Amino acid sequence: MGDFAMKGLVRAILEGDCAAAASQAEQLLHSGASTNQIVVNGVEAAMSALDAKCTLQEFNLLEIMLAGRAVTEVMKLLYPAGAPRTDTKGTVVVASLEGDVHDLGKNIVRMVLTGDGYRVVDCGKDCSLAKLIETAEREAPLAVGISGLITSIVPQVRQVKDLLTGRGLNRVKVLAGGAALKQSSPARLNVDFVAESAFDTLHYLEGIAGARNE
Amino acid sequence: MNSLERIAATVQFRNADRVPVIAQVFAHAAKLAGVRVDDYVRDGETLARCQLSALKQYGYDAVFSVMDVNVETEALGSVLKYRQDRYPVVEQYALSGTSDFSALEIPDCRRAGRCGEMLKALCTLRSELGNEVLVVGCVMGPFTLATQLLGMEAALYLAIDAPSRLECLMDFAAEVVVRFGQAQLEAGAHLVLVFDPSASPAVVPPQFFREFELPRLRRVFQALAGSGALASWLHIAGPSGAILPYYPAAGANLACFDYCVAATKARDRLPATCLTGNLKPMTFVEGSPADIEAEGRTLLGDFRDRGGFILSSGCEIPPESAPENVAALVKAARGDR
Repeated sequence: MGDFAMKGLVRAILEGDCAAAASQAEQLLHSGASTNQIVVNGVEAAMSALDAKCTLQEFNLLEIMLAGRAVTEVMKLLYPAGAPRTDTKGTVVVASLEGDVHDLGKNIVRMVLTGDGYRVVDCGKDCSLAKLIETAEREAPLAVGISGLITSIVPQVRQVKDLLTGRGLNRVKVLAGGAALKQSSPARLNVDFVAESAFDTLHYLEGIAGARNE
Repeated sequence: MNSLERIAATVQFRNADRVPVIAQVFAHAAKLAGVRVDDYVRDGETLARCQLSALKQYGYDAVFSVMDVNVETEALGSVLKYRQDRYPVVEQYALSGTSDFSALEIPDCRRAGRCGEMLKALCTLRSELGNEVLVVGCVMGPFTLATQLLGMEAALYLAIDAPSRLECLMDFAAEVVVRFGQAQLEAGAHLVLVFDPSASPAVVPPQFFREFELPRLRRVFQALAGSGALASWLHIAGPSGAILPYYPAAGANLACFDYCVAATKARDRLPATCLTGNLKPMTFVEGSPADIEAEGRTLLGDFRDRGGFILSSGCEIPPESAPENVAALVKAARGDR
């Protein structure tokens, strides 16, 4: 029953069926599965399957948004308000910088990272550099992720690494992505990594976490 | 041959004196003229003056009356935020997922919002340029307009949760697009670019494009062609490879392809459609004239034996691009006789 329901949860998330995903998670809880088991074997397994599709380029925003909405519902069930998740893989701060009010890409990254077990602190859109750096100082994240749909934010992106270093946050990686920024390179943007997709971000973070655990 | 004749011949795969070059210069024209972008997108005379000045500087083959992606949604009641020297953004969408779409009324596409200013720009551009240079208007694709009326997330969820309601909204959007496009042709546009970024496979699956957007694009292009448009130009940025084969059925005979689609793939999938592309927009900001010329020459080589090609960027040339890079694009085409 547990295994069958777990597969049902994975399938419901992949199909973007919000109600079915929540119902399967509820069944799993009632049948004695732990929150951790549901996250690892259900939510994270579904994210891995989506990741594989992304690698094959059979991937679009609609599909990932629907899966993300289903994951959000399951997470709400597993971690009700007031009971935040504590067993995370680490913290990532994300933002769209000042002047850029497009936040869909950033929201997708947030969904993917949350679904895979990271704690994501979202600074929102049109975020000032000062707010981003202050948040990084407070949260001590693994990385800061900047999503950019317009080219005019590039001068701001170039400053992030140096501003973090100035606050002693040398170990915090700076990641960039989004339709405009992914046309550039890490060297030109003065960042550690330029991601092609949300899952590309995830792979890079896994590499960092792996290196730090060794 | 003048610019208009050159483009008309190329779209029909007839011989031209050289490959035409269309730089997708929109607000970059404002930057060149020292005009704030928020002024450029609100005043038709200013827009036309900046476009004419940029044409004089660069000598490419087309000018655009393109403000931003929010002209139609503003005309339909969305509230925009105008920011200094930037494109405006939607602050409050006109509709929500629970709105009654069947009660929507077509706005006066000659006066509502900034429509009148856009038509004024076209009128000025055409009276200044006559039939020497291509004058291009612009409308949103039906699905893109739907996303601009509801917000992207709400529109995508509606596609799954209540597809018939989304179709109702897209039918309305297609009608608005036709009326606005026809008004642009009457005002002086030689053709109307249908800009449809939300229909990109990066956003929705190819099946969605085929079932939802294609029939409505067909309606739009048929109506615009019937109103005298010189060509039917579809512009979908991003990884459009999977939907290219549907373009002829939509009625498009001129199509953009972005930097992430290989020229060979675009050629193979659209053998009888005039193509325009596909330099990476960021190269106009970060690259050098030598980079642009080299990439331009490669593209010209890719299409030399086929024809039906207009040299351009894959999407808008960013406003802050280096002028010498835009000049290098034109030089690449002009040097390829």
